[in-house]
Amino acid sequence: MWDDILQFIDPVLDAGFIIGTVKAVVIVVALLGIVPALVWLERRLMGRFQVRLGPNRVGPLGFGQPIADSIKLLFKESIIQSSADKFLFHLAPAVVVFTAIVTFSVIPFGESFTVFGEKIGLWGANINSGLLFVFAISGMGVYGMVLAGLSSNNKYSLMGGLRSSAQMISYELTLGLSALSVIVMTGSLNLIDLVDSQKSLPFILVQPLAFILFFIAGVAETNRAPFDLPEAEQELVAGFHTEYTGMKFAMFFMGEYVNMVTMSSLVTLLFLGGWNSYGLPLWPILAFAGKVFFLLCVFIWLRSTFPRLRYDRLMTFGWKILLPLCLFNLLVTAVIKVL
Amino acid sequence: MFEITYEVVVFVLGITAVLAAFGVILCASPIYCALYLIGNMICLALLFLLFNAEFIAAVQIIVYAGAVMILFLFIIALLGGKKEISEPSVQRSSAFTFVILLFCELLLAAAVKPTHPITGDMAPDVVNAIGSAKAVGIELFSRHLVPFELASILLLIATIGIICLAKFSYLPARRRLK
Repeated sequence: MWDDILQFIDPVLDAGFIIGTVKAVVIVVALLGIVPALVWLERRLMGRFQVRLGPNRVGPLGFGQPIADSIKLLFKESIIQSSADKFLFHLAPAVVVFTAIVTFSVIPFGESFTVFGEKIGLWGANINSGLLFVFAISGMGVYGMVLAGLSSNNKYSLMGGLRSSAQMISYELTLGLSALSVIVMTGSLNLIDLVDSQKSLPFILVQPLAFILFFIAGVAETNRAPFDLPEAEQELVAGFHTEYTGMKFAMFFMGEYVNMVTMSSLVTLLFLGGWNSYGLPLWPILAFAGKVFFLLCVFIWLRSTFPRLRYDRLMTFGWKILLPLCLFNLLVTAVIKVL
Repeated sequence: MFEITYEVVVFVLGITAVLAAFGVILCASPIYCALYLIGNMICLALLFLLFNAEFIAAVQIIVYAGAVMILFLFIIALLGGKKEISEPSVQRSSAFTFVILLFCELLLAAAVKPTHPITGDMAPDVVNAIGSAKAVGIELFSRHLVPFELASILLLIATIGIICLAKFSYLPARRRLK
């Protein structure tokens, strides 16, 4: 029987196919494995920031806590209220996780190397419009939140969904335009080309304003505090995921944490020089991981430092401050590039 | 082997796009209509991708499936999309007649001989060398500059018009109450 199967898939079974499959599996497993570790990191760091200990009872340093939490979430009863739209209610968390993982597929995290005569790049796919692909797919992620809000048939969820869609539209512009000033400098949408053009110095030194704008918009895009208005507890109970329980509830958080990793990687690739270590004796992949880890800590740091914005202030900030600054920065970059 | 797979994938995507388009007009609930439209647009983007137009595919998803459709869903959520109760009417039957006429017209396309790709400066090997984003940019900003600028002016006028229409007067709140 095994021979028959092998015969059937033999034409497909070339090196490219195997490498692609292995890469896909590794990326998905690594991303999903990172999520509990990030939850642990966030809770421990938040504890430190707020002068308390954080979870430290389950296992050494509280490492068992995320495992215990995931087991609890897996075995919780999944409740769907009868007034909900069942299909959309199930679809929404799947959309969030799917888009979050697919976005990461074009993120490169190291130089290519050779194994058994095959050149293997440390990325899922190296496509020419890599940056556009990231924006396109991560933009689709907001549908998960909007659908969750719409299908729950609940005022608070609906408000959360509305907020997330308005916020996403406003801050996506800033995100794209501040990345555009980097693209103008390199003339390529390919993420690997972007990293290669930062061999001598990272773009954060050349484009400090674009870096700040991109990071702010990135925090808003991932729905992290202080921009987590769609799930503001003091106003909306829990926003778009009020009605969710068990693993479906956890999937929204999975999506959020994977998005955090993707956004940190994107900032690293665009502004911090990717895997270039600038003289430090580090493996390229370790340099990349170190930068991403630092940015993730900054995400958590921001959460425990800033209070949540008021919603109208959020919109005003996005449209009247960030967007004009972005356009100004783009104009200056273009003028310098032409001169 | 690959050729057959490719053709099959293109065919399946095309059929899915047509079915999604049917879903848009036949579905009773506005939310599902919008979702079918998103599905249709994603199918179109995938078709672009299969024809090696990466840039157009990405722009299709960012602009249509991302920005435009999220506004559609926003409005549906604001107005509260209720299910329509379908009842036969003159408009309904005339709409169906129109759709059937269009479909018949589409069938005429079967009589047309095989289509030829448009040839120009941007041959496939040139596009592969410089990337599809650059190819689109070079074409757009050299040969088609005037239509492009005219379209952008048109969009600008529309934006200003909408701001003028939607702007509320800046009277103080108390006087407005009177």
